[in-house]
Amino acid sequence: MIRFTLDGQEVGAREGELLVHAAARNGVFIPTLCHDDKLDPYGGCRMCVVGVEGSPRPLPACATRVTEGMVVSTNSSVPQFRRTLTEMLLAEHLNPDPGGRPNELTDLAEELDAEAPFILPDAKREPYDDRNTFMGYDPDACILCARCVRYTQEVMQCSALSLEGRGPEARVVPTWGLSWLDTECELCGGCLSACPTGAIYEKFEEATERPEQALKKVKSTCTFCGVGCQIDINVDPGTNRIVKVTSDPSYVSNEGNLCVKGRFAFNFVHHPDRLTQPLVRGDDGELHPTSWEHALQAAADGLRRVKAEHGAQSIGFLASARLTMEENFLIQKLARTVVGTNSVHSCEAT
Amino acid sequence: MDVLKLTELLPELPTERTRLLDNLGRIRREVGPLTRELSDALADHMNIRRGEVHEVISFYSFLQVPVDAVRVCIGPVCDCLGAKELLAREQEHANGRGRVVLGVECLGHCDLAPVLMRGDRVEPEVIHETNPGASLGLETADRTLADYEARGGLSVLRDLPAKAKIVEELKASGLAGYGGAGFPTGVKWEAVAKEPAPRYVVVNADEGEPGTIKDRYVMELRPHLMLEGALIAMDFADAREGFIYLREEYATARERLQEALKEFHSAGLLDGRSLELVVGAGAYICGEETAMLESMEGRRGMPRLKPPFPSQVGYLGRPTLINNVETLAHIPAILRTGGEAWPRVRLWSVTGAVRRPGCYEGPLDVTPRQLIDDYAGGATGDIGAVVPGGAASGILPPAALDVPLTRDDLRDWGAGPGSAGFQVFPTSYSPLRLLTETMRFFAEESCQKCTPCRIGNRGMHHVLEELEHGRAAMSRAQMEEWLEAMVATSICGLGQGAPFPMRNAFRHWPELFAPLEEVATMGSP
Repeated sequence: MIRFTLDGQEVGAREGELLVHAAARNGVFIPTLCHDDKLDPYGGCRMCVVGVEGSPRPLPACATRVTEGMVVSTNSSVPQFRRTLTEMLLAEHLNPDPGGRPNELTDLAEELDAEAPFILPDAKREPYDDRNTFMGYDPDACILCARCVRYTQEVMQCSALSLEGRGPEARVVPTWGLSWLDTECELCGGCLSACPTGAIYEKFEEATERPEQALKKVKSTCTFCGVGCQIDINVDPGTNRIVKVTSDPSYVSNEGNLCVKGRFAFNFVHHPDRLTQPLVRGDDGELHPTSWEHALQAAADGLRRVKAEHGAQSIGFLASARLTMEENFLIQKLARTVVGTNSVHSCEAT
Repeated sequence: MDVLKLTELLPELPTERTRLLDNLGRIRREVGPLTRELSDALADHMNIRRGEVHEVISFYSFLQVPVDAVRVCIGPVCDCLGAKELLAREQEHANGRGRVVLGVECLGHCDLAPVLMRGDRVEPEVIHETNPGASLGLETADRTLADYEARGGLSVLRDLPAKAKIVEELKASGLAGYGGAGFPTGVKWEAVAKEPAPRYVVVNADEGEPGTIKDRYVMELRPHLMLEGALIAMDFADAREGFIYLREEYATARERLQEALKEFHSAGLLDGRSLELVVGAGAYICGEETAMLESMEGRRGMPRLKPPFPSQVGYLGRPTLINNVETLAHIPAILRTGGEAWPRVRLWSVTGAVRRPGCYEGPLDVTPRQLIDDYAGGATGDIGAVVPGGAASGILPPAALDVPLTRDDLRDWGAGPGSAGFQVFPTSYSPLRLLTETMRFFAEESCQKCTPCRIGNRGMHHVLEELEHGRAAMSRAQMEEWLEAMVATSICGLGQGAPFPMRNAFRHWPELFAPLEEVATMGSP
């Protein structure tokens, strides 16, 4: 622990801790836009600059590490630039809400009572239309914080987005302006989750009229594989249907990261072809709803009959990729000790 | 695209990330302007993600432009002397001939304004107007290393004083970085020497401040002198590797340096060490030292957050001594005469509405009137405004013609000597137009990383353009807030310095901004 002064109070911080974190733990919230805990400090938006004694200029709290005895001022005792910087960002923020996602810039503008004095004549950016069905991007909502680009480079280690150009022409674009489907993008949607203004957003067939804040979040575990990513199922309270899946950086197993399946492949839930109860084929050759007890009995009878007629080695088990390791363990136990076959496989291996 | 040339060239290209900019330059020259296909081929060859190469290519102005393109300078001095008309003429001439013609920010040949480059050839032809000068002696050019040695060159390098003595002399000389920031050179050298080896030396030859031509004069007239300065720095820092980051537009200087480096090689002066030329690709911001390091490391030239400073964490994370061309060129003279006896001079680029635009060695406290009358042959007409030392240094009215151009004297006028790029504008060129062109330059050249620079400069440019039409886009008070945010919160000197000319204009030409005073509330006029 080291000690430093925050707005006149002596407080503690961990050695090497970022100022923005140390301040938050001591009850002082410093707004940021380009900062993301998953990424290296960037210090681009400058929203978080604070006064540090001995420094000729204010320093970005998101990229400055606390040192012993540092004297930091975040309040009105030092000049404040947040409102002006917000005005600047608004001057090229043509579309604050392309897809119903939260917008930290407009929230901040409301809190600080900031308005754009004008819209820059070169603010309009070339629209981007992508043929993938999961993610959309409106460059007119982008504030060039580069969180998405840095996410693809630092977390996903892939080449999906680029910070293109310089000066007024600077843009975030999928690499070389291609469709995401033609880049290394895996459509994990991590860039989307990193975007503070909702410029990258989910494209859904079943769109909701409600902004993300109005959705009911139900915490759950993704069922697509054994990693156990923690997810928030976002439910439209009006229709009681799932409209999107998000995840929070505080979640332990996945730190808010998801893959394409976890984030986008939830439409099976409401799909008309989804099986919601056990079915057993009757003598008429058709499937009929039945009880679990009867269904399991039918399966067991079938396996017994095959084993009796053709031997245990004629039976193989193929487990779903969606099972956990424990469930896979039980499958092989069932195969080896109950049925007596060594033919056990998981489709995860293919 | 010439696939054959590419397949021939690709295997030759080194795969270290630090060679990316060089590789891109070679592909542009030897195969053609960088397209997606060329970019992806190089990315795969170098094992760099394709998107990152795309990012780097798009950052620079020239990598996607053919080598034989016509580049017309539209910087303020050229603009004042008819650049727009020249550009229109060239565009008309090129119509239908497939030749690319583009207007570019300052080409660094303001003494020839209006000026253009046809490929690597500068038009009009490069000539040098200069004076004798006790420290740099630019009046006599060195054609060969033998010329240079005959004038006493290399004597300091061959008999270098102890490190402590070098620092002492540099401090005594008062030499302070002539790139524009004015940081005391002796202090910088001392700081780097205290950091652990390995250390690097980088020569900042990315002169880009509009109105500044002095480093080009040094490199074109006395390349060996600058190289001696660089080798002294390398000896001092025990650096085995040194780099000269040269702007792409300086084709003549590039040739002169390449020849001189060859001579240094043959003479054994580079044995056991390397001094390499790194050629930029068109980005003003790469003259900012940390942006330059990023560029050299094969990334977008976006400035790093400071601290740490390059003297501690520089090229490839190692302590790095970075000096401007002119600064280094003075060092042999300082060590020869002793710091106290050194005449305390610098090179003044004098351009615009004067009879003999050029680059002149003069004292630090020279006045605008002396530069115009005693050095540059007098003004060509009535003087409307002068810029003391490069675009970011400020804009001054004729009332300031007798103010010594020192840091202290100019402070009272809200300006500074910057890179000593002194420019004279006639009354026929309105200060509002000068200001608009200056802010357009900063807006275009902003790396875009930080909000105050990316949007602040464009905002100021917008307000000025509206003012030209008599409209007020924002209140004067709000404008002051924006300027203050730019000065205080921008990452590097570009955004921090751009407000100087604006504030000077508020003070010296208040009538230009009268419409803004009437805007009581924010927003609509």
